[in-house]
Amino acid sequence: MDSFLTAASLFADPYLIGVVLVGTVAGVLVGAMPGLSSTMATALLLPFTLTMEPIPAIALLSALYCAGTYGGSITAILVNAPGAPPAAATAFDGYPLAQKGRAGQALGIASVSSAIGGIFSVVVLIVAAPLLARIAYDFGPPEYFALALFGLSMLASISGEAPVKNLMGGAFGVLLATIGMDFTTGVDRFTFGFWELSDGVHFIPVMIGLFAGAEFLLQAGRLDRVVVRAAIEAVKLPSWLDFRRCLPTIGRSCGIGAFIGVLPAEGGTVAAMIGYNEAKRWAKDKSKFGHGDIRGIAGPETANNAATGAAMVPTLALGIPGSATTAVILGALLVHGLRPGPHLFNTTPVLLYGIFTAMLLANIIFLGVGLLGAKLFARVTLIPVKFLWPSVFVLACIGSYALQQSLLDVWIMVIAGILGFVLRRYGFSAAPIIMGLILGELVENSLKQSLIIFDHNWLRFLDRPIVVTLLLLTILSVGAPIFRRIRARRRATAET
Amino acid sequence: MSGDVSDRARAAESSAARRLPRDIVVGACVLIFCAVAYAITFSFKQAPAALAQNVQPASFPRLVISVIAVLSAGQMILSLRLPEKALKPLPWAVAVSAAVMIAFVIAFDALGIVPAMVLLCFGLPVLWGERRWHLIVPYAILFPAAIYGLFAKILGVHFDPGLFGPW
Repeated sequence: MDSFLTAASLFADPYLIGVVLVGTVAGVLVGAMPGLSSTMATALLLPFTLTMEPIPAIALLSALYCAGTYGGSITAILVNAPGAPPAAATAFDGYPLAQKGRAGQALGIASVSSAIGGIFSVVVLIVAAPLLARIAYDFGPPEYFALALFGLSMLASISGEAPVKNLMGGAFGVLLATIGMDFTTGVDRFTFGFWELSDGVHFIPVMIGLFAGAEFLLQAGRLDRVVVRAAIEAVKLPSWLDFRRCLPTIGRSCGIGAFIGVLPAEGGTVAAMIGYNEAKRWAKDKSKFGHGDIRGIAGPETANNAATGAAMVPTLALGIPGSATTAVILGALLVHGLRPGPHLFNTTPVLLYGIFTAMLLANIIFLGVGLLGAKLFARVTLIPVKFLWPSVFVLACIGSYALQQSLLDVWIMVIAGILGFVLRRYGFSAAPIIMGLILGELVENSLKQSLIIFDHNWLRFLDRPIVVTLLLLTILSVGAPIFRRIRARRRATAET
Repeated sequence: MSGDVSDRARAAESSAARRLPRDIVVGACVLIFCAVAYAITFSFKQAPAALAQNVQPASFPRLVISVIAVLSAGQMILSLRLPEKALKPLPWAVAVSAAVMIAFVIAFDALGIVPAMVLLCFGLPVLWGERRWHLIVPYAILFPAAIYGLFAKILGVHFDPGLFGPW
């Protein structure tokens, strides 16, 4: 409680409030811009935070994360092009409602349900993270190995389309993490004579390349796309009738978002899709869904924002990212010399409560900013892409360089960007590679330490109940999406 | 006309049928990558037994490479009976932009950051078909100046002076 009050008192400082405000406005802006996601924006912004103190730095990124998730709804509703992947489901009903001349109502319900989801998720974070950290406090290397493996296995369900490819991406990320000097023996691996690689491949240039560089190339292929914006009147607060109609959906989506968010590797996109499906499934009259039902906006918007704070739970308590953006925030913590995990709650509680406070503040600010400025933020879609994307690429290069002031990092970013584009074209996602890269060191070290503890007897992993539980969950999370996919295909083949 | 379209569609279908499934080709590429990466692990130095404690530096990378290879083989098997959507041809702007990415880093090294940024901010919009010079010229001057000012002067990032420096 003392730590929370200390952290809250920090936010009496106008500088910190300013940082959160900047992060929130920037988040709404990038979220609203099709192609620019909060993940990419946090990766691009990370180098800017290097000279900042840890609390404002992480507060800035956390605020951007929360607001970016909401910002995507603006263009999903007005342009039918979700600014960020978590807002994809919002477009299903948001855009038809905007086409009916009720964009203000759609944006109003999106703002309010996003804020409710976001605030609920921060409460979940405040309650669940210390509890989880307390449980994880007694974890040894075998438990951490099983946990990291479980985190990686959850990548299988990030996208129902390509579970095996996601796992391959995760494993590739782990392989990338082995580049450089071996921690225990001091032997160089995959360095090819470049001494700069002895310290390993820094995840920030890889992250910037995979998210921003690949998106730059993707956008280069869509230069002829014309954005048609629905007309917008003033944003309206939802009427009591609308709110009451959406309340059960909002309540359900809060639970869905928080649950999905807490699971390692899952994030707002999955939560929003499930939130939408559940809103539709529970509705008595389903016929209006897809044609502008406000519950079709409230469901996904609450769920994707409820996943934001929840995704920070495993990130902070265990050091296992809950989503792609929290993987970047985890990276930022590492860059600032902080190792997420249970010990963080003992050593720097003020920082953690500072993050909680920043996220809470960001959710409140974006509600106000969204209601008052959605009309203005919608204008970001007017920025010509032929100027926007060269700017993003320049920022990506300078950001990668600024980290260690090394040109090698810029090369790594460019190679990661081109590779990321090729991989996306062939059905792979960037997020699993980043997860693998971040978790790689933990997987290798905990496995080595476990093998030493168990005297190289692999069967002794099964002596530990937590490890067995996590391994069973791993098998389930790998098997279920693959099994589901095979079954769906069989059904499709039978139908044809 | 409609006959033409259906002929073309049939031709595309039959050529797709003749082609190997895309995931098989991707899987084969991944397997080749795995074989090369595995071979490279043999060049790692052996650590003394006391230091390595039965886990040589190459052991873990080999384990991960094997996992990737197994997953890749699995993906190839899964893709065998699958109909696949045809990939859209790659727009020329993508290849040009990838080349510009590489050229930018070379220019960054050879000319310095400011000229490299100016060239990119001028050249790329033009390559992408932008012809509003009243926007391109100010953008190519002001944006690099703002970025350089922010990083070099405010955030204290050191840039090599390059060909035309110091700035």
